[in-house]
This record gives sequence, structure tokens and C-alpha cells, in this order.
Amino acid sequence: MPYKVIEDSPADFRERLFLPEVIRGVGIIAKQFWRNFFLQRDPNPDILLRKTPTVTIQYPEEKQPYPPGYRGLHRLVPREDGKPRCVACYMCATVCPAQCIYIEADEVEGDPIEKYPKRFVIDELRCVVCGFCVEACPKDAIRMDTGEHAPPTYTREGQLLDEKALLRGAPVSYQYDPWLRRGATAVDPKKLEEMRQRAKPFPAGATDELSQTPGFSVRQLAAEAKGRGA
Amino acid sequence: MADEQKPSAPQAAAPKPAPPPGPPAPPPPKNPGMVTLTIDGKEAVVKPGTLVIEAARQVGVDVPHYCYHKRLTVAANCRMCLVEMSNSPGGKLQPACQATVAEGVAVKTETPKVKDQQRAVLEFLLLNHPVDCPICDQAGECKLQDYYMSYDQQASRLDMPKLVKSKRLPLGPTVTLDNERCILCTRCVRFMREVAKAPQLGVARRGSRSYITTFPGQPLDSKYSGNVVDICPVGALTSTDFRFQGRVWFLSSARSICTGCSRGCNVHLDYMRDSTYRLRPRECEAVNQEWMCDQGRTTFKPWNTDRVLQARVGRGEAKAARRAEAVAQAAARLQESAAKGQLAALFSPGCSLEDLLAACAVAKGLGLTEVYVGGRPDGWQDEFLKRADENPNRRGLELAAAAAGLAVRSIAELAKAIADGKAKALWAVGSKVPSPTAAAVFARLETFVCQASSQDDVARAATVLLPQAPVPETDGTFVNFAGRAQRFERAYPPRGESRPGWALCAELGQALGQATAWTSAREVFQALGRGLALGDFTWDLPPASRARALSPAPAGTVDGRLPGYRESADKVAADIRAKVTG
Repeated sequence: MPYKVIEDSPADFRERLFLPEVIRGVGIIAKQFWRNFFLQRDPNPDILLRKTPTVTIQYPEEKQPYPPGYRGLHRLVPREDGKPRCVACYMCATVCPAQCIYIEADEVEGDPIEKYPKRFVIDELRCVVCGFCVEACPKDAIRMDTGEHAPPTYTREGQLLDEKALLRGAPVSYQYDPWLRRGATAVDPKKLEEMRQRAKPFPAGATDELSQTPGFSVRQLAAEAKGRGA
Repeated sequence: MADEQKPSAPQAAAPKPAPPPGPPAPPPPKNPGMVTLTIDGKEAVVKPGTLVIEAARQVGVDVPHYCYHKRLTVAANCRMCLVEMSNSPGGKLQPACQATVAEGVAVKTETPKVKDQQRAVLEFLLLNHPVDCPICDQAGECKLQDYYMSYDQQASRLDMPKLVKSKRLPLGPTVTLDNERCILCTRCVRFMREVAKAPQLGVARRGSRSYITTFPGQPLDSKYSGNVVDICPVGALTSTDFRFQGRVWFLSSARSICTGCSRGCNVHLDYMRDSTYRLRPRECEAVNQEWMCDQGRTTFKPWNTDRVLQARVGRGEAKAARRAEAVAQAAARLQESAAKGQLAALFSPGCSLEDLLAACAVAKGLGLTEVYVGGRPDGWQDEFLKRADENPNRRGLELAAAAAGLAVRSIAELAKAIADGKAKALWAVGSKVPSPTAAAVFARLETFVCQASSQDDVARAATVLLPQAPVPETDGTFVNFAGRAQRFERAYPPRGESRPGWALCAELGQALGQATAWTSAREVFQALGRGLALGDFTWDLPPASRARALSPAPAGTVDGRLPGYRESADKVAADIRAKVTG
């Protein structure tokens, strides 16, 4: 047999009397009732940090956060100058098993990425929330880290999210980003320098793009990895 | 480097009167008159002077290469095709694209030494490559990507910044250059010098700072410059017209014929859904080898935009009519004027042979004895590919008219007949006319039935307008200037209400009470075209290869639809058409 059957233990005399157990159950319910009735609810909006034993969450005014790694609503990750990181390479649209991503590319002047999505539409009704688009993206330009599920709408068209609706959330820059490495005439030089300062350093694993950045060293990366005992 | 010519064939071993002392005489060849060698254990028998890479291809061994192109001189500068040959001095690797075959030689392309060399060459070629595949139009048909996955598969070990060169440099009206992606194989330089006979490209500077460039102040404006995009094995030279229009792995490909002139270059017609995205030359030794002119590459634009998609009855603010209704109207008016002897027929040599066969049969049934020839006016001509006659099927029209017993008249005679009052009604198949004033003349006719695919002046002058599908939306045949009949295949179904020319003629014929119930272009050809003098032409194309290698899949094997957003498909399709039209 592939699983183990646990037999209920036979009821003892007190349980067979029935009444004491009923009284005990009513007591548990009454305890919760009086506690919720008289004790102050902790108003902390971050419900995970609440001190009181009140467990009821007043949905939808209060929402329990989804765990990290939850694949929520998509977002197009912005650069610090407000443009999308996306370069319209169609990798997400290619890998999408539900064919829910529609992209139209266009040329952009004054930026080494040359190409940007003139239109980027995701049909959230068609999406199967597999996260392949996030995996396929070579530029970390699409993420599902919003921690929201798709909001309900009255129409189907409301579930078609275009590039304006999708472009939101915290901006991200990496030191190897072409617009930081090579400069972009379309971006104000001061702003560009600020973006360079705030750019994220190299991730632990070396990628080919990293080697295009001045100061990059494979040997240094290897030494660091050795130090970590990797 | 690129000056080297193809090595001439070695002289057949002549019997010498007195063999000198020394090494023993080579054994006699296994196959007299041919050279026998083994490639990866397979025996190849080839002509003397054959290159090893070609001999390997004959026995099914694919040697990776970048700079070698069978229609260009040998440069042997990419070093990707190095193989082991048993006759090489010191066991050194030999370039298979430059070494010629020799009797009894054993060639090995799979040894660890060769593999190491291939990995090393790829690492070298990719050393300063920007790896910007996400924004590169070549991605999907790039030899660097393919060979990296087949032969390299290792991370870059470069420990210093990559070289910075010029990107998105417009070389001319049709070609955009990205020097960082270039591997300096000089295919483009050799093509411009040897095939296009317009040496407009060259390599400047030395070593790792070399780059492809035009001469100062001279753009790459040859009429054949588009071919350098096709032969570039990487994403350095890309088409300005196709730039960022779509990813190549979404495109499907149909075998088609260029409609730009009477040469009839064989082309791949790359399409997605119901739009054509680009034309690429298709290999045909007898017609265009594997080249085509830049003008031919733009001939797909009218198929995507300003199309006649609905039938119309009446001029001016007339409203669209259902096609069946319009055909009935057209048939009634044609019959009426034909009975009075006032009808003339104007057939365009831009239509397919099947369209014209059907049209001639219907014209014969109407009692006509002559047809007038429309078509585009003559253009430029050169000694390579382009012909002055910019109509793909003039010979086909002549053949079809002769088969139906109709005399062929020029459009000048039609103008005269209209001026004399002999012709008061006109039936046009195809709306292209050589003279710009013809539309104004047609606009004064009392009856003008026109089968047109584009909204031009002639189509606007029609009293009954029938929507005709252009080349990618039907099967058909063109007969080129030399009398060679060539098939093109349907890529996607006709847009809107439009139907192929032969189908419209069949509908007209049926409305006139003729027996013209054809259901396919093949049936039209079988019924009417069997007696034509087309040599050994067979209508049915061989089945398309299903291999999905560097070129997109053949027509019909993938659904070719746009990913996503299908609820608003029509809206999206309209946007795409506007973009492709440019």
C-alpha cells in the first residue's frame, strides 16, 4: 500500500459521555468571541506585524500579502529615466505558450538600444501565469513581482494591458546596461550620471554582457567565488 | 587577401617519358578522369579542381564556413572551415574552402583537433561581438548563433572592454551597417566587385580595427546592393526596409516569382498572416542564380496597402456592392456592348498565365477577335538581371491570346479605337496601363469593367470594379521574356472580397452562360493551357522542403499568425499593414 492508514483511536468514557466535549467546544468558540469582542484590534496595516491575537483579516480593505516568488500581474520594468527597459526582442512573445503578448517594435534615436516597443499588450485573460516571459527576457524588462493578481474588470477589453498600464514599479539599472555603458544622447547627461551611480553592480554569475563593462574582471569574480567557498 | 582567384583545375597527370628517380609514382586514379577521396570515411568521386568544401557537401558532410560563397572568389579568411587532410604538410589544418581535392586524400572534419580549432575560431570571431541579438534583425537566421550552438558553447574569456565601432550606419538607401557585429568575411566587398560590378565597399584600417565602409562621399547606391544583406552571414548588414518590422521566426515563406520585370527572378516571399514582409532571392541557376535587384525587392508594397477589397458598381460616390451582384452587372453590360460590337478587352501582362487564359476564353466567348495589351511602361535595363519590360508575363499573354485565336494589339490602337468611337465599352483585367492619360480616357467610357487589385486612377475610372487578388494570394504561372514558364504558389488566402483573376473571369463567364466553372488555377491550366509551347514545364511544384534551417518554414507548415492579442485581430492587422507599407 502506498500510504499509511491511521486509525482513529477509540473514544474513551468521557468522550462517549458527549456533553463534556460539547461544553469544551462551546468554550473555545466563546473564548475567541469574547476576545475579538472586547480586546483592541491592532490597526497596523502590515498585518504580518500585528501583535494582537486577532486573526480575522478585513478583506478587501486588508489584504494578506502574497509570498515572495508569487507570480503576480506583469509589469514592464522602467529605467530610471522612465523609459521601459524593454528592447522589443519578442523573446517573451515567442516563448509564451498562451500567445498572450503582442509587441510592435519601432526605432528609437539617441539611445544605443536602437529599438523599443511602440506597443506592448498583454492579454491577462489569456495569460496562464507560467512566468516563462520573465525567464526568457534577456534584459530583465518584464517581471511578475507586483504581488497583485489581475484586477477584475467588467469588460474583456479591460484585461488587455498596454505599455502604459504595464510600465510601473521600481526602476532598475545595471552597470552593464548599454545606455549607461555607452551613453545615450537622448538622456540628460546629469541624469545619466545619476543613473550610473544608482545602477546595480554585477550579479554573481558572469554573463557575456558583463565583459563589455570597463572594470570587469573574470579573475576577480573567480577569486570572490573562491572566497565564498563556491 | 580578396584578390585571390579561384584556383584553376590542376592539369591531369600527363604521362612523363622518363620518371625521375625519387618518390615512387602515385598510383593510378581509382576512377579515371575523376578524383576519388574519402571525407569522414565516405568516398567522394568529384571532378579535378573541386574544392574540398564542395566535395564534402556532395557526400552530405557540412563544413561550417562564413567567408566562403560558391558564387564569389575564395577569400579563406574566416578560418572556420579548417579540416584535417592527410596530404597537408606537417599535419597542419587546411581551409576546406580553398584546398582542392587530390587523389586518395583522407579528409577528416570531426576530429578533436578540428573541433578545438572551430571552438577557437568562434571564440575569436565572437571576441568583440556585442551580443545584441535582442535588437538584431539577423537573429534567427544568423550563422554566428547557429555555429555557436553547434561548435562553441562556451562563455567569453575576454578580460577587457570590447572594441567600440560604429553602429546603425546607413550605407545607402537600402542597407544599414553595424560594424560591431561584422566578422570581416568580405563577402559583401567581393559581391559588389565581382557580381554587381560596382566596387562600392571596402575594408578600411588594419587588424582588429578594420571595418567595412564605402568610399568617402559615395553611398552604397548600386541597384543590386540589397544582395549584400542576404549574403552577410551575420547581422552586420541589414535591410533598412525590413528593419525591426518583425522577427524572422514568425515569418513563413512561399516560393514565388518577382513581378518587377520580365526576367522573372525566383524569390522567397516571406509573409505573416495576410501581409508580405519581404522578398528574398531564391536559387535558380537558369534565371537569377541567387540575386535580385533592389527595385524587385520593393514590389510587394502594393499588395499590403491601398487594395481594392470590395466590388463597386457605378462611378463617383457609388457604394460598394456585393461581388456576385457586381459580376452580374458587369456580365450584362459586357454582353450588351459585345452584341453591338463596341466592346474592347484590355489585358495586363502583369496578371498570371491562368488569369489570362481564363480571360481570353471568356473574351472569345464574347465574340471578340482581338485584345489590347496594358501593363506598366518600360523602365531601366542593364546587362545583369533587370529587363526594360517591367511586366512579368508579356510572353504569357501573347501565348494565351494566340491559343484562344485572339489578335494582340497595342494600347495606342485602343486609344485610337476609343477616339474613333469604335470601342465604347472596355473590359480590363489588371489596372496597370503604360500611359498616364489612359485613366482619363477610360473615365469617359459608358461601360468600363475593371478587375483591379490596387486603388489607382484606372480602378477609380471603372463603372464596375471587381476586386482581384495579387500574386501572393493565388497560385499561378509567369512566362518570362525567354519563354520560361515559372510557377508561384499561394502564400495566404485572398483579402476581403477579392478573388484571383481567373476566379473572377470564371464568375463572369458563368454569368454570361459560358462553361467556365473552374475552381482552381490548376484546373484553368489543365483545361486551357495544355497546348501552350512551354517546353518541359510541369504545373505542379515539387513539395516544399520541411527543413527549418536558416530560411523560414515553407507555406502552410506553420499557421503564421501573430502572437497574442487575437481578439482585436483586425485592428492589429491594420496597424501591421501600415508599418510594412512604410
